[in-house]
Order: sequence, then C-alpha cells, then structure tokens
Amino acid sequence: MKGHGFLIANYVRGHSIIHRTPLWLKFLVVAACGAASFLIVDWAVSLVIFAVMCGLFMLTGAGFGRLLRAIWLVAPILLVIGLFQWWQLGGPTAARIVLNVLVCVVAASVLTATTPVQDLLDGVVALAKPFRSFGADPERFALTIAVMLRSIPFIAGAFSDVRDSARARGLERNPRALVLPVFITTVAYARQTGDALAARGLGEPERD
Amino acid sequence: MNSISFSRVSVRVAVDGSDTPKTLLHHFSLDLTERRIGVIGANGSGKSTLLRLVNGLVEPSEGTVVVHGDDTLADVRRVRGNVGFVFTDPLSQLVMPTGREDVELSLRRSIKNSKERAARAEAVLNRFGLLHLADQSIYELSGGERQLLALAAVLAVDPTVLVLDEPSTLLDLRNRELLRRTVAGLDQQVIMSTHDLDLALDMDRVLVVEAGRIVFDGGAAEGVARYRELCAAPLPGAGVGDVSR
Repeated sequence: MKGHGFLIANYVRGHSIIHRTPLWLKFLVVAACGAASFLIVDWAVSLVIFAVMCGLFMLTGAGFGRLLRAIWLVAPILLVIGLFQWWQLGGPTAARIVLNVLVCVVAASVLTATTPVQDLLDGVVALAKPFRSFGADPERFALTIAVMLRSIPFIAGAFSDVRDSARARGLERNPRALVLPVFITTVAYARQTGDALAARGLGEPERD
Repeated sequence: MNSISFSRVSVRVAVDGSDTPKTLLHHFSLDLTERRIGVIGANGSGKSTLLRLVNGLVEPSEGTVVVHGDDTLADVRRVRGNVGFVFTDPLSQLVMPTGREDVELSLRRSIKNSKERAARAEAVLNRFGLLHLADQSIYELSGGERQLLALAAVLAVDPTVLVLDEPSTLLDLRNRELLRRTVAGLDQQVIMSTHDLDLALDMDRVLVVEAGRIVFDGGAAEGVARYRELCAAPLPGAGVGDVSR
C-alpha cells in the first residue's frame, strides 16, 4: 500500500504554550468548540472563533502547511454541505455551518498536534473511568480511539491504491470499480486488525 | 510444562450453502518441546490454522491445545499474554501511527505509569536497533523495518512463546537475513510457518502440513526434503487448465 504519512494524530514535538497547556483544558476547548457549533447562530461569530482557533494552531509551531492539510481533508465534504445549505437555507446559514465544522476540525488538530498519542489515550482512559462502575473498560475507549486514528490513513491509502488500479484498467470513471474494492479491502483490514488486537491481548478485559 | 501440546485436535468450519463442514485440520496430536519449530506446506494446507490454535485465535472443534500449562480455551487471556503472534503483513498488525507509540500500546496493560512505559518502549526499540525509526510514520518504513517493529511490539511484553506466520514472505533477501538472525537470537520458544526453506533448515523440528494433515514430523533436513518431494508430485487435475495452449 502507498504511504500515507498524514495522520490526524500527527504529534509535532515542541514547547509552545499550547504544548504546555494541561490536557484537560485542551479537551475542554475541543468540547466547547463542539458545543458552540450548535449554539452559534451568527456566521460572523463563527468566523471570529475560526480565526482564533487558527491563531492557536499557529502558536503550536506545527506550521501553516499542516493547518491547510487538516482543512483540505474535509474540504470536498464541506463544499457539498455548503452548496446544499446555500440552496436550502441561504448564504449566511451555509457559511455558519461550514465555519462551525472548520472550528471543530482546527480545534481537534490543535489538540492532536500538541499532545502525544499515548498522553491522549491516557486522557481518554481518565475521562472514561466513571463508566467503569457500569462495567465498561476505560482501556477499550482508548483502544477504540487508537484504532480510529490508525484506520483513517489506511482507508485513504486503500482508496488511492484502488484508484490507481482502476486507472490502469481504464475504469477510473466507474464508481463500482472504485467503491467496491475499497469496501472489501476495508472489511478485510478490519478483520485482520481484530485478529491482531486479539493476538496481542489488546482489548481484553482488565485482569482482576 | 514448557511444551505446546495438541491432544486429538481437529478444526472444522461451516461452509455457506453446505451441510457438511470443511475440515481445515484433521485429527492430530503433538507435543512440541523444542525451542525452534518450523511449519512448512503449500498455501491453504492448514499451516496458519495450526499456528492460530496456539494462541486461541482459532478454537479446536475437537481436542485441546495446552500452551505451557494453559488451555487455549479455558485460559485464553493468560495464553494470549504468554504467546506473541507476528502476522505475515505487519501493516495489519501495527495499530499506532509510529513505532514508539505501537510499542507503548503493547505495554499499556502492564505498565500504567506513562514515563516508565516510555522508557521501557525506548529500551525495546533500542534492543532491536529501531530507535532511530521510533518516531517515523509506519508507512515510511521498509517492509523489513515494519516486520522488525511488529516483532519488537510483540516481544515488548516478554511472551514465553513466539508464533510467526510466514514472517519473511514480504521481505527481500537482506531483510530476510536480518529477521533470521533476530529470531535466532531470541530466548522464546518459537513456532514459525514459512515458505523460506533456508529458514526452515534453522529449525530444531519441522512439521510438514499437506491438505490439513501433518504428513511429516521430524528433523529439519528430512522435513524440507519431504516437502520438496510433495511439491514435485503433479497437482491433482494438472494439465486441465493449461493456459499455454
């Protein structure tokens, strides 16, 4: 499979103020951005928050290129959503919705660019601890996040490989030749990952 | 105690659209006490099924599998803690974006303190000569480096048995030699399936699997010779689908 270096959780080493901010506060900012996307009704406010989040991202030292890549990944979906909302509800609403999604994406990127994955997983485990009384295993929450982070670039890589294969056979305009192999590869990958996790004893309940 | 025992084991699976299950492994009993055990055979012969029995990824339809005193059905958690498993394709095994993070993931259960865990992960990567690659994306590594990384991640938790399912299939000659030397230096009991007959010759004991049956069990040289004989025999139905005509 082709290399896909871009990962959502691509941690960038550094000593910026954002790197040194406690994890709980970064979690809180991400959660607040998520909540704000439901509460903000003015696209101008969304734009200001988006600008603030971009400013915070630049403070991390991760670079403008990485910020652009994070946005680029969701750009096609946002374009479709934006056009649909414009048609249905008008320009201001479409702008607000698109900007609110971008705020969430940039906020998540600020978190992942400044937090090592293991610290992030430790944070998830700590957050999930209250669910232990309901029989849930906090480590499984962390493992789910880990598998999710790993699967996104894999699926992107599978899509890229399948697209090249389809091109080589002159089938690049055939949606079935693109979608079905990616689907089958992804299901096979899920099964292999399940086997690999089981073989490593990951995801097993905690020993008493 | 330090043996892998298969007692009257068979493995069958249901087949869609058929009332008759397919037998992947026919009845067999084995007691593996050697440090290096090789499993060779054609594709689809049952090698991987045999290996997967060792850490409970496949359950026997009949019989029992006991690994160093633990039953793979009754004590599956302990078995998986003691048996490391390395798959053919390391990309399907490595869960985290970088090597360091993947080794740390292996250690999450056993070491709760994050600093201690990071130090241990660094020591493991250093032992395998992978420290300089620790923070690279797993996609940027070569096949050999990925396979070594998968091995390091599995060995980080100090298993007593290491199972390798065709670990050299995707490797070039240089990386195959590297893997061979690494495996030779391990303290663990190793059971490995392979198509690499040079690698098989390093083993203390070799099993040859053919159509779900163990058709040879003995020394490496004799096992490889037996496998060559089997491969020299014409395939059933050979010539029917001859595409050269």
